[in-house]
Amino acid sequence: MKEYVLLMVSAALVNNVILARFLGLCSFMGVTTRIDAATGMGMATTFVITVSSMADWAVQTYLLEPFSLGYLRTVTFILVIAAAVQFTEMTVKKVSPPLFQMLGIYLPLITTNCAVLGVALLLVEGRMSFISSTLFAFASSIGYSLVMVMFAGLRERLALVDVPRLFAGPPIGFIVASLLALAFMGFSGMSTS
Amino acid sequence: MSTPADSTTDFSAPSMNEGIAHVVSVEGSVAWLVPEQTGSCGGCAASGSCGAKGIGTLASRLEYRRFQINNEANLFVGERVVIGIPDNALIKASITAYAIPLATLLLAGALAQWRFGSDLATMAAMIAGLAVGLGFSRVGAGRLLMQGNLAPRFLRRARPGETCNQP
Repeated sequence: MKEYVLLMVSAALVNNVILARFLGLCSFMGVTTRIDAATGMGMATTFVITVSSMADWAVQTYLLEPFSLGYLRTVTFILVIAAAVQFTEMTVKKVSPPLFQMLGIYLPLITTNCAVLGVALLLVEGRMSFISSTLFAFASSIGYSLVMVMFAGLRERLALVDVPRLFAGPPIGFIVASLLALAFMGFSGMSTS
Repeated sequence: MSTPADSTTDFSAPSMNEGIAHVVSVEGSVAWLVPEQTGSCGGCAASGSCGAKGIGTLASRLEYRRFQINNEANLFVGERVVIGIPDNALIKASITAYAIPLATLLLAGALAQWRFGSDLATMAAMIAGLAVGLGFSRVGAGRLLMQGNLAPRFLRRARPGETCNQP
């Protein structure tokens, strides 16, 4: 149990996908203008990362490894991710068309989100069991969502303050992002003892 | 959208997220609208270049995003209108669509791992948990729809040059 908790804390905070591994930066800057939009994107990404990581683990364990097809890993994972996004899109549309109309816009953006592929490649390199890899993927995406929502909150507040013209807009956003990354570096000093 | 939203002409609309939409057709008492592309990412338009013909194109993406409202304000084709959805509607919708299936998936997987300790059993349990969660999502989405939380509402006609960022 303790190893699962440590794995999840490490994936979500210490090795945060955005602020430590610098993955998913395009959605980090593009979809964080409002908290609700960032939450929607974060939850959609969490769902897709978790589901596609499960599929990626199965493909790696039962197809690529036994047949020595490791060189096809990246292209196979991209295919699996695209299929997972398409599956999610079709499922949400089937379950509730109004939900799809409200949330469907985020799904195509996830296909090209490098965080999804990055997490899948990381869990394969880690040679984890199925449950560990699923929890790792889930915690990584929770860390992604957490940072997205935090940054969206900061940007909503920044929109209300008087920023010098030179720094207004994306420049002050990048400065705040760097301060946030510095704050997250504090988690690397955590000890289990 | 299966049922038309209740229109309202409440100009104050204090707890609404507003957006601009174009009226693309009027059928009796129902007006069909397409949201105007806003924001810096241009996700609607970008998705048009990442798919094959018909699937993922801009036209099909906009077609997906068409929605209807009751035409009590006598809207006509080509008009720009300001529409609104209740605050937190997106968060409630996200929880319903994604968090519920994910929670049941992880719960089922954790129980199966604890009970059987096998990767294949855990995988099967997670798939079953996902299916159950999607069923719960469907019920939750129906409830949100009945409460009117998923339906955009007509607020007012847009002024010339008005955007959702600069009213």
